[in-house]
Amino acid sequence: MTSKITTSQTIGPFPHEAWRWAVELTAKVDSAAPQITVKGCIFDGNGEAINDAWAETWMPDSAPLESAHAIPGYRRVPSGDDGGFAFQITRSEHAGKGDPVAYVTVFARGLVKHQFTAIFLEDDPALAESAILNQVPAARRETLIARKQADGSYAWNINMQGAAETVFFDYI
Amino acid sequence: MQFDAVEPGVYPELIYPTYKSTVSRGPTQAPLRIRAEAATNTNLFASPKLILPHDMDLTAQGKSAPLGEKIVVTGRVLDEDGKPVRNSLLEVWQCNAAGRYWHKRDQHDAPLDPNFTGFGKMLTDDNGRYRFVTIKPGPYPWGNHHKAWRPAHIHFSMFGNVYAQRLVTQMYFPNDPLFDFDPIFQSVPDVAARERLISRFSLEETVDDKMLGYEFDIVLRGRNATPMGI
Repeated sequence: MTSKITTSQTIGPFPHEAWRWAVELTAKVDSAAPQITVKGCIFDGNGEAINDAWAETWMPDSAPLESAHAIPGYRRVPSGDDGGFAFQITRSEHAGKGDPVAYVTVFARGLVKHQFTAIFLEDDPALAESAILNQVPAARRETLIARKQADGSYAWNINMQGAAETVFFDYI
Repeated sequence: MQFDAVEPGVYPELIYPTYKSTVSRGPTQAPLRIRAEAATNTNLFASPKLILPHDMDLTAQGKSAPLGEKIVVTGRVLDEDGKPVRNSLLEVWQCNAAGRYWHKRDQHDAPLDPNFTGFGKMLTDDNGRYRFVTIKPGPYPWGNHHKAWRPAHIHFSMFGNVYAQRLVTQMYFPNDPLFDFDPIFQSVPDVAARERLISRFSLEETVDDKMLGYEFDIVLRGRNATPMGI
């Protein structure tokens, strides 16, 4: 079968003003459920911070807890000058065990196709049974797991290349 | 939905040295094909309230009409079965007629137009159709190499009906002399896939003596969609 899909092109360097509405819309979380923060940086193959990348999350378990939002379960954040980004994530006690807390889509200038990845929390007791992590070679699973910090937040970086290259998915 | 593997050459090459910034930014490992129920069967819900009055008419956002050639761009968003992708959020952004983006980092020596921001958003209708009115964007230079000029294009960002359908791409205009020299366009190895990014002039969509029409259909990945509302 010949695929007739529309191919991808980079977002380029200039989406900031056009994409800002969704950043502002999703910056403030309105939910009674517990919140966690995942913070990180995005790096290129030279270890340099990427200061014009974008990350979006889709959080299907959180969406029902954010019914006051215009787009429940969704965030959009640009990376800062230091490559930094942060997401506030609504935790659902009904979330599937071993499921990611967020599906993440990464965009950047110089990235000709967006990349799909996901964030898991290191203190999820069901991590070993995760249906998704078990499809990832053991040596690379680490790149998907956010580590708990002293302040209660979680740290998770995105590496586009290198020894710790983040696992990027193509969904079946 | 079901997502078949994309045939080689249809997606651009993640590391394509003539587009310099891909060299350190493109992943080196092939994407891992995995099953993830939530990614292929759920999606965000974008309320129609998000669409503001002039989001679909980029020529009506200022105090007066922007400069340049007014055009209308329309098309259908379909899945791989040819089914319409309905009620789906779509964003567009572009430079103005002079080739300048409304962006603090754009240093191109061309004028901003106070009446044109170059961004809009909309939802597809029940037939998967979108339609917006804008100004034909100009070509512009970029720093990739000597005499590097981008063919005129409009950026599209689509959210599909399931998360895994997310797509960002660029729509081009017919017969642009810059295609052969643009590493972003050329980074797609498959000629047919590349040419599917070029819109088609449409006399049918042309509106009287007001504006020329361009048609650009989009096929998102994915087959076997579950009917909505069941």
